[in-house]
Amino acid sequence: MSEAALTEESVRKALSGFLNVRTPETRLTTMGAGSDDLDDGRSYLQSTAEYGWHVPSWPSQFGGRDADSRENALIGRVLKEFIVPDLYPFAIGLGMVGPTLLAHGTVDQKSNWLQLIASGQEIWCQMFSEPDAGSDLANVGMAAIKDGDEWLLTGQKTWTSRAMWANWGICLARTDPSKPKHKGLTMFAIPMDTTGVDVRPLTQMNKDAHFSEVFIDEARVSDTLRIGDVGEGWRVAMTVLSHERAGGGSRGGGEGTNRGSFVPNWISDLGTFGVLDTPVARQRLMEVHCHDIASKFTSQRASDEARTSGTPGAAGSGAKLRTVRSYKERAYGSNRLAGPNAMLTDGHGYIETMTAPSMSIRGGTDEIQRNILGERVLGLPGEPRLDKTASWNESRKGLL
Amino acid sequence: MTELIVDELITQTANRLFSEICGHEAIQNAETVGEAPEIWAAYSETGFPWISIDENLGGSGGTLLDALEVLRLVGYYSVPVPAAETGILGGWLLSEAGLQVPEGIVTVLPDLGPDLTIKVDGSQVSIAGSATRVPWARSAEVIAILFQDDGNNYVASVNASDCVITPMTNMAGEPRDSVRFDGVVCSYAKVSESIDAQSFRLRGALSRVALMAGAIEKMSQLTVSYTNDRVQFGRPVARFQAVQQHLVWAAQDAALSRMAAESAGIEATRGKGDFEIASAKLIANQAASRATKACHQAHGAMGMTQEYPLHHYSRRLWSWRKEYGGDAEWSKWIGRLAVAQGADGLYPLITGGSRVL
Ligand SMILES: Cc1cc2nc3c(=O)[nH]c(=O)nc-3n(C[C@H](O)[C@H](O)[C@H](O)COP(=O)(O)OP(=O)(O)OC[C@H]3O[C@@H](n4cnc5c(N)ncnc54)[C@H](O)[C@@H]3O)c2cc1C
Repeated sequence: MSEAALTEESVRKALSGFLNVRTPETRLTTMGAGSDDLDDGRSYLQSTAEYGWHVPSWPSQFGGRDADSRENALIGRVLKEFIVPDLYPFAIGLGMVGPTLLAHGTVDQKSNWLQLIASGQEIWCQMFSEPDAGSDLANVGMAAIKDGDEWLLTGQKTWTSRAMWANWGICLARTDPSKPKHKGLTMFAIPMDTTGVDVRPLTQMNKDAHFSEVFIDEARVSDTLRIGDVGEGWRVAMTVLSHERAGGGSRGGGEGTNRGSFVPNWISDLGTFGVLDTPVARQRLMEVHCHDIASKFTSQRASDEARTSGTPGAAGSGAKLRTVRSYKERAYGSNRLAGPNAMLTDGHGYIETMTAPSMSIRGGTDEIQRNILGERVLGLPGEPRLDKTASWNESRKGLL
Repeated sequence: MTELIVDELITQTANRLFSEICGHEAIQNAETVGEAPEIWAAYSETGFPWISIDENLGGSGGTLLDALEVLRLVGYYSVPVPAAETGILGGWLLSEAGLQVPEGIVTVLPDLGPDLTIKVDGSQVSIAGSATRVPWARSAEVIAILFQDDGNNYVASVNASDCVITPMTNMAGEPRDSVRFDGVVCSYAKVSESIDAQSFRLRGALSRVALMAGAIEKMSQLTVSYTNDRVQFGRPVARFQAVQQHLVWAAQDAALSRMAAESAGIEATRGKGDFEIASAKLIANQAASRATKACHQAHGAMGMTQEYPLHHYSRRLWSWRKEYGGDAEWSKWIGRLAVAQGADGLYPLITGGSRVL
């Protein structure tokens, strides 16, 4: 749609027509922690949908605006000047399922789902983990049995974030247990209101109840809802995970602008605790801040790579390690420096401290990201594993 | 001379009692309700709260070291009661002042609020202003307040029911209430000059060190047992070296803080343990930060759920490390002391501790 090349000024002008500008006072939740709000995100997405401002690199017929890398980065940068609410409820669709459908989906799937994701009308959740398949994701046991032009799904998912809000789940299931564990998997989209799908929320340590157990008992799923070929589920799952790790899902939320000042708000907020003039605190804060900046560049690079290649690689693992460390150090550092009142549930940095340990777990643990980097980037020998070649029926018994 | 060995019967009895009355559900329930009267009843029945307090003033006798052993186990089992406040903090202040120790819960003010004023008026004092983060004020019978007037140290014994109490909680859901005194009048008595704000703060730190040592030990054990049960990639995750590193950090931190707590307790029981207590609180604070990270990481998503008990310990440790002195406060305290010894005095300080001061 853009005849004239986009400039910072033209993007800013267009966005300011319907978005509010961030002020230094703006404070939004991140990763949904401590909030159950769907409305802010939804109305933001509705207002950006017409010209594809939130997902500019998607094709225009599917809710984007065909932006190239440069334009995409430019829009992303200018968007940060405006109030983009915490899009946590919508993050799986926007950041992970969307790009995965662009890579592996059928034309029908793209036209049925992408626009509804981009405009915030439909929420997706990620149904990967199971009680016996956490880090060992390829051990997924959810059975999918073909029945005419439908599949019957039976099994249990767990830690499914957003399941209670979701219209759809992207669900990894086992279609052939006789094949080795990575080979017999297939990806499906499952409507969460399908008969036989039962969502039971779990309360987290931070008091949010954002993830759930999902019990599935002979739920019927049409073959048209299969994403990718039968037996290609692992490859599709890797696409989803690489986008997750590259940070595709996490745009939005956070603090106000610090335009005109070099000190980020999370640091200046600590001023009220009288710690900013102590050398030890300053040194610690600057270490975290420097890491933060490096981490932003790394994530930018990884998410550009993920978007342009369509089949992202190990860069996402590096980016995730860094962003996670940034989040954790900011959370722990702020809480630690904020004095004794920060021990209270209404104290400074409470919700972040309670959420911080999960950051290096969700989306694949730090240890798993390091294994990936070690094996794929450095070419180090992997852990000795016999389960890659044996049939899943055998390897699931854990004797290999 | 005071006995410097803990009576074994205390450890046994406390272990037996706490493992009976303090399961996951009971702790969770105390957090939801905001107090745990049944647990307090069972706990106080044993006389544990008043160990180390003079029997003539309502105490149970025994040494400070015995009392600290109970606190360690209170931390180990996350027992949701004001054990330290009623005993070695509040009970201690009252008994040192020769005031009667009540049958119910006693609490103290970890910090005197900036607007708190205490006016001596003949045989009574009048208190105005407020205090925050007061442990279990909502359940207390008496609030014991240490204050200074005209160069002397006094303890005031306030009826908690005379105060305006606003419930607040720490990260672990333990009561840390706001208390307002609207010209509350109460009795008071003098204590010796050695009982001042500094010695009270140290004693508060000592109580937290004992609790923290217990909590870190329990968290470490829980993590070893979980990772041995949890199978991924066909083997218990505890077989992965990356996970073993977490386990070792947690075990080291458990051993380190217990050792620090014990030596601080021994020196304090001997009569002079300021340096050991300050060091132990700093060690426990730092150990708590490391060990909570390691244990959560080794647990994966399971540790993030309310239904699994890891958070009882981690959230308490995050809170306790801030009570009676965070890292900065004790680092500065120790730093000043060490520098004051001069180069030749440093090694004797490290090896001899408070005894050379
Ligand atoms: C807040 C939150 C939200 C989540 N949301 C979702 C969601 O929406 N959808 C979804 O599908 N899942 C979700 N998850 C699950 C998440 O993907 C898993 O928790 C994660 O993959 C780790 O699995 P696990 O928890 O079973 O840990 P485990 O796999 O049991 O790991 C335990 C420990 O062992 C280590 N370990 C395991 N294997 C190895 C190895 N080979 N080498 C070295 N160390 C190893 C781990 O790093 C970890 O420290 C969520 C988790 C959290 C905490």
